[in-house]
Amino acid sequence: MVFEPKILGFLCNWCSYAGADLAGVSRIQYPTNVRVIRVMCSGRVDPVFIAEAFMNGIDGVLVLGCHLGDCHYISGNYEAELKMKMLSKTLSMISFSDRVRLDWVSAAEGNRFAQIVRDFTEHIRKLGPSPVKNKKIKKEIIDNLNAVKFALCDTRLRALVARQRELTTEGNVYGEIIPTEEFEEILDNAIENEIIRHKIIEKIKKEGKSVPDIAKEIEVEPHKVLHHIVTLRARGLVDVDQINEEIPTFKSIKEV
Amino acid sequence: MSKNLKRVMVIGGGIAGIQASLDLAERGIKVELIEKNACIGGRMAQLDKTFPTNDCSICILAPKLAECSRHPNITLHTLSEVKNLSGQPRNFNVKIFKKARYVKEDECINCGLCIEKCPMRVDDEFDMKLRKRRAIYIDYVQGVPSIMRIDRKNCLLFTKDACRICEKVCEREAIDFDQKDEELELNVGSIIVATGYDIFDPKTLGSLGYGRYPNVVTALEFERLICASGPLDGHLKRPSDKNDPKKLAFINCVGSRDIKNNPYCSSCCCMYTTKEAMIAYEHDNEIDTSIFYIDLRAAGKGFREYIQRGCDDYAIKYIKGKVAKILEDDQKNPLIVYEDITTSQVKQLKFDLVILATSMIPKKDAGNLAKILGIKINDFNFFKANSYQPQISSKEGIFLCGACREPMDIPSSVVDASGAAAKAAEIVMRG
Amino acid sequence: MSDEAIRIGVFICHCGTNIGGVLDIPELTEYTKTLPNVVYSAANLYTCSEVGLSEIRENIKEHNLNRVIVASCSPRTHEPLFRSTCQEAGLNPYLFEMVNIRDQDSWVHMKEPEKGTEKAKDLIRMGVYKAALLESLEKMQVSVIPSAIVIGGGIAGMNAALNLANQNFKVSLIEKDSELGGLLRYLNKVYPTNEDASNLLETRNLVENHKKIDVYKSAVIEKIEGYVGNFKVIILQNKKIIEIEAGAIIVATGAKALSPEGYYNYNGKNIISQLELEGLLKENSINTNNITMIQCVGCRNEERKYCSNICCMTALKNAILLKEQNPDANVTIIFRDLQTQGVAYEEYYRRAREMGILFINYLPEKPPIIKKDHIEVYNEFMNQGIGVPYDLLVLSMPLIANEDSEQLAKMLKVPLEENNFFLEAHVKLRPVDFATDGIFVCGSAHWPADISESISQSNAAASRASTIISKEMLEVEGSTAEINTDLCVGCEACIKICPYSAISRDEETDTVVVNKVVCKGCGVCGASCPQNAITIHHFTSDQITAEIVTYGGG
Repeated sequence: MVFEPKILGFLCNWCSYAGADLAGVSRIQYPTNVRVIRVMCSGRVDPVFIAEAFMNGIDGVLVLGCHLGDCHYISGNYEAELKMKMLSKTLSMISFSDRVRLDWVSAAEGNRFAQIVRDFTEHIRKLGPSPVKNKKIKKEIIDNLNAVKFALCDTRLRALVARQRELTTEGNVYGEIIPTEEFEEILDNAIENEIIRHKIIEKIKKEGKSVPDIAKEIEVEPHKVLHHIVTLRARGLVDVDQINEEIPTFKSIKEV
Repeated sequence: MSKNLKRVMVIGGGIAGIQASLDLAERGIKVELIEKNACIGGRMAQLDKTFPTNDCSICILAPKLAECSRHPNITLHTLSEVKNLSGQPRNFNVKIFKKARYVKEDECINCGLCIEKCPMRVDDEFDMKLRKRRAIYIDYVQGVPSIMRIDRKNCLLFTKDACRICEKVCEREAIDFDQKDEELELNVGSIIVATGYDIFDPKTLGSLGYGRYPNVVTALEFERLICASGPLDGHLKRPSDKNDPKKLAFINCVGSRDIKNNPYCSSCCCMYTTKEAMIAYEHDNEIDTSIFYIDLRAAGKGFREYIQRGCDDYAIKYIKGKVAKILEDDQKNPLIVYEDITTSQVKQLKFDLVILATSMIPKKDAGNLAKILGIKINDFNFFKANSYQPQISSKEGIFLCGACREPMDIPSSVVDASGAAAKAAEIVMRG
Repeated sequence: MSDEAIRIGVFICHCGTNIGGVLDIPELTEYTKTLPNVVYSAANLYTCSEVGLSEIRENIKEHNLNRVIVASCSPRTHEPLFRSTCQEAGLNPYLFEMVNIRDQDSWVHMKEPEKGTEKAKDLIRMGVYKAALLESLEKMQVSVIPSAIVIGGGIAGMNAALNLANQNFKVSLIEKDSELGGLLRYLNKVYPTNEDASNLLETRNLVENHKKIDVYKSAVIEKIEGYVGNFKVIILQNKKIIEIEAGAIIVATGAKALSPEGYYNYNGKNIISQLELEGLLKENSINTNNITMIQCVGCRNEERKYCSNICCMTALKNAILLKEQNPDANVTIIFRDLQTQGVAYEEYYRRAREMGILFINYLPEKPPIIKKDHIEVYNEFMNQGIGVPYDLLVLSMPLIANEDSEQLAKMLKVPLEENNFFLEAHVKLRPVDFATDGIFVCGSAHWPADISESISQSNAAASRASTIISKEMLEVEGSTAEINTDLCVGCEACIKICPYSAISRDEETDTVVVNKVVCKGCGVCGASCPQNAITIHHFTSDQITAEIVTYGGG
């Protein structure tokens, strides 16, 4: 049987949704695989939604907005672009970034909409079903996606993305403009850190573990793990569990 | 002393009349909307799609119809015509003749039982006589108000004093053969005329074979033929043999730009023939279309690009040529004989189906209405408009909008209608 | 409401055969009945018809529905209708949800009816899960300033101002130039009656002397703030800052003629533009015998694809005037397609031909070639160039958008189309409205328009504006953003990110708040808030997540 991908599409009301309607009015035929959630603006699409979609077994997600410069809300699609970039970086750490695509469709582009749906459906078909559907590795994949979701919910990371345009164009409160490359580096680090932190929490949910043990389990150098443990303690997510022979073990103390 | 009545009469419930009514109603002015037919919607309701966006016509019209019938400031008078006018601007007195519907407006729920049982089969005017309707019917399925009417000319009770089946089957006892035509008097401060247009009858041009050759149809017939809710459910067939037509020809300026018929340009045909060709192509990508034209008139916003799209994406061939006549071969294929304007050569081409872009002409009774209202008509029987304030008629307090003053497309009619509303508001709201 | 059990009614539309001819509606109706919280599910032939609407109203009452779903066409066209139908039956309009099974299903999967039906099931289920989480929202009432601002004092702007003033509204007319009149000032006569342009310029006196109109000349717009019903325009006039308030704004900034420099050996002497010809005709200083005009100069080409609408009639008018002045003159118009639609204009064209004006068609791939004393125009029939002598060559230049349109569009937050003319809300049915409430457009700012068209449109824009400023109060959309002050840590990321400056810090309470009247409900702030402290009403994270989860899990 041919694999029929389950695809979710987020379409902005003013351009892409209208473009999809136009495809309908023009009777342009395209694959039936996409289910559309209408949002007023592509900038409304919280990256967390997409992590949620993958956790629920959806094979691919399309986010479509007005062409850059045409946003009904002036700059919403630029924000969408930044969010999706961040999401893509995050997803690439668990080999999922291929399953999400951001593109632009105007209200006059019924054909383009249909073509994007055709291409993306074919692309996902080639990739095969989401690994979430594979029973053998499901747990591992869900853990990974949970780590992604954790990162996407993280206050600091979200604040960074929310401020990206401001910080890279207008500058911070001291008027310092952060060069884009530098910003990307900061963002990359932040994403990596959040994903590792979540992995740490996952490992110490049930029982306390020592830094060397955690380091071994998640394959990260012990000094880095210690650094993350300090941060997570400061956030009130982790605390000392016991001290055995002067080696402390840590345990997560709050459901996240 | 004249009263300043903050009330406006709109004559005609097509897109122009609807837009004018809605604007005025939203402006807080009471509107008496007079419609000759049983439903509002006018010509736009008959169209399949509209250029240059190709939105489905009824889809964008339907919400407006509903809004019009629901708006607390609009009183809808269907089956009604203006019979007399007296008074002066800010205080007109209008006599309305309202034909009996023979169906109680409050009782009918448009269930359609009566239609099913009515024994009469009559040409359906809304579908350009391309299918039959009954003697009890609704103008068109999405029509507003969505209630039945009985056509007195064809109903057996009135013609032969027999039948009464509809009365028996109606579960809501909505049929009322005792209804009488009524006359009512309305007091308004200003009047907007939005009575629209008729279609030129190409039978008078014998050389094109319309009426004799089954595969020569008018553009409005074509709209119904390709419309999903039309007589063919949107599956285009040619009338003679019900085969899928593959070669279409549109002839522009039929009856227009023609000294012997209508010397004026009908304004919309270059655009709507392109639209119809595009829709036909969307139905069937093997369709090959030629459009015969004299000048391609596409000056509106985005129109020129639309024509270009027709060439590039819909395989439409535009032929600058004057059609001399249409012949028919033994397979009933129309043969177009035309003069190629660029080379002055006479050529002949064979098609499966020919569509005539017939001109928009004044309403048959325009002259009569002009007389009643005391407004002037121009040389061609359109209501005479001021050259630079085109919504102004020859009489103070009476305004014009839409194709009753000159052939025009939907966007222009909507602009015109809002404009006429502003002029009427100027009269009734002036301090 | 929260304690009440959720009771969802689902209305599935056949749309004649549009949906019913492809999707299996009985199956959808039965399937829908199996979904949680659905207490009623039925199909209609046309849900949007008065019958369908009354079925919605009746069933809300009969089945005590507190959520309504219509599965039919696009919410973009029909949501308002169904919402108000719910409202008429006493249901809060925001408890309505629409599912698109026509434009995005039956119409695009005509050859795959089974898969299309499966898709429709998913879509309806997603709608049902969202509907269960919908909340009642109230439309806010805002007061309206009963006056209008018209930007641009050409014939369109003046006429719009005059109409509104005659309707008893106060109008502020803002003109960047030192006098009113716009392009009309440079014209000699106007078609189709050939009366003096100066007669129409009389409008200036009516406008300047109208007690309801304030005219601001030599005024530069510095800033535009506010929202429908409550705009504030800040202008700079004679080094003074003036604040003008109004409930609606009409954009009537016009257009300008493309410069003829660089086209067909233009020299400003014997090769001039049509606008320059108007000036010469005004001065009555033409005494040449061979006058030739070329149409579509600098337009209908790759760079400017559009037809500028007014040039054919302008050329005809000037050709007729020249011929009237000097019947022996040879006047030739080299054209592509003559745009003289309608009754009066076609008549005008016929008159021109009868007067002996010569018309020669040219092909864009073989444009006329300018020689020293004649023009060579390629003739397809003869397959060679024919020579047309000229003493005076007149180039018909298109109208192009003003260069300050972009800046004005930014200030108004309204869009421009590709040629930088202002883009209306809908080509067919909202030709003078912007998508942004309370702002309207008319005349050549929208698209090249002649006098009669400009006046028509200005009347229309005035009418549309009057529908707003005639109201004491306006209702504002309920689906806006709201900040949960308990979760908000005051980082102000949202203040920076909001394109409408709808979010600010309330100095009194020291909290971050949303101005619901300005908020457009785009939801960007909600997707960005580091604390997840912003609810985007009607598109809440919970609602969207419910749709995702049921699609994934189904």
